[in-house]
Amino acid sequence: MSATASRPPADSAILRARRSEDVVVGDEIVRHRLATRAIHWTVALFFFLALFSGLPIWTPVFGWMAHLFGGLNVCRWLHPWAGLAFFVSMLVMFVHWLGEMRLEPNDREWLRPRKMIEYMRYQGEDPDVGKYNGGQKLFFFAAALGALGLLLSGVVVWFPLEFPRIVRELAILIHDVTFILFVVAVVFHIYLGTAAEPGTFHSMIRGTVRKPWARLHHPRWYREVLGGKTRRP
Amino acid sequence: MAAHNLEIRRSSASLWGGATGMRQLPVVSKFIDTTTCIGCKACEVACQEWNDLGPVSTRQTGTYQTMPELDPEFWNLIRFNEQEFDGGVVWLMRKDQCMHCEDPGCLAACPAPGAIVQYENGIVDVNPEACIGCGFCATGCPFDVPKFHAKTGKMAKCTLCVDRVESGLEPACIKACPTGCLQFGTKDDMVAMGHARVEQLKANGFANAVLYDPPGVGGTGVVTVLGHGDHLEWYGLPRDPRVPLGVRFWKSVLRPLGVVAIFGAVVGAIGHFMYQGPKEPPQTGGEPTGGEPPRTPRP
Repeated sequence: MSATASRPPADSAILRARRSEDVVVGDEIVRHRLATRAIHWTVALFFFLALFSGLPIWTPVFGWMAHLFGGLNVCRWLHPWAGLAFFVSMLVMFVHWLGEMRLEPNDREWLRPRKMIEYMRYQGEDPDVGKYNGGQKLFFFAAALGALGLLLSGVVVWFPLEFPRIVRELAILIHDVTFILFVVAVVFHIYLGTAAEPGTFHSMIRGTVRKPWARLHHPRWYREVLGGKTRRP
Repeated sequence: MAAHNLEIRRSSASLWGGATGMRQLPVVSKFIDTTTCIGCKACEVACQEWNDLGPVSTRQTGTYQTMPELDPEFWNLIRFNEQEFDGGVVWLMRKDQCMHCEDPGCLAACPAPGAIVQYENGIVDVNPEACIGCGFCATGCPFDVPKFHAKTGKMAKCTLCVDRVESGLEPACIKACPTGCLQFGTKDDMVAMGHARVEQLKANGFANAVLYDPPGVGGTGVVTVLGHGDHLEWYGLPRDPRVPLGVRFWKSVLRPLGVVAIFGAVVGAIGHFMYQGPKEPPQTGGEPTGGEPPRTPRP
């Protein structure tokens, strides 16, 4: 649901409120302040730059993507730099979000595949879900770990002649497995953030969510924000 | 070095349709007899001249070897080794260059379509215009042959003088050899010549003489007669060269699995949306009041 219809008037107090997080603005709650959104989209930009320049090197199935950048030679040059930028922006995002992503005892449930299936079947609603649910936190840490794995193996693939053969072979395999898992996870990340859970994409674009959205997806966070216990990272 | 008159049997990073061969050509091979090589290095010079390479500075390491390793501008290297044997000393000289494997690891590892090709006659060649200089071929090669040329940003190696061979000439190194220890012809002929020479050597006191044509890479387009086949390390040759397992696994298992996984994830998301639909708050208006999450309609 787009909140465009109920967008508040440009009031200086409201504009100020929108710059902080976890505060109520009219019918909406500010979920991601501008810095958060900018960091997230910077990571996404470099992720896709690295992905689309890397896929044509990976398999000729995606060879056509090389034309987006001007050929495979450009990809060979661009991909490592885009990957490096992805890692650096991921590092910034990691530090930025770490405080809010601390795992709580009930987040451990998410380590079981059954919990994920239940979540995808919209079952087993947990009234104790804070600002981020266990799945989001796990994705956060998995993405950070994946980025580290991609960086370390990527450096070896970038300068293959500097490393012994066995290291090169391992690096190629690690780079491959990590990126395949990463892409599968990102496909679901995008799906859940757009089509599957309407209103979520808006929170990453304009920063705000509607109250019913917050009560449905993050009930404890909703209660905390409305109860005035605003946390500012 | 692209040969335009030769049909292509295999092409790197080509799922299928890489082969263009209408005619089957006999597979060609070099024949190297290390027992009659005198280390004159005429082949090195001929290679440099014909391929317009170098000059490359020699790097002495205390032997008669021109430089320690093959170089992007030095594709033919006589490896020199001195070994104590049977109470005396033997001088071993082996001509090192691309082995033109029947099952080339470089071609398997290469990600750039058409950058490495294998012609119908078995010659394995780098196409500089398609090469992206990533160096994967060096990881795929069990003989450590392809070298990165910093100036062009491409990989370079022996072409088996494909431009001469397609015109019916023998490679430059063969042409220059003064002792006849280098020969060129069909693979079948060269293997037969090799076995005959090995028998001759065995009859003359070289009990461990072998013809080096490793089956792990499907045989090579360079067959080498070695007087001391029980000591391949004396010649700097691997005992059982194969396309590295990592490269094989990556190309034939991980890559297809990954493509299926990525498309599968997209199809799965679409399927989920069609079956389950979006998770939305109830559409009834009004300010929610309680802390309990609203129930979501389920299918």
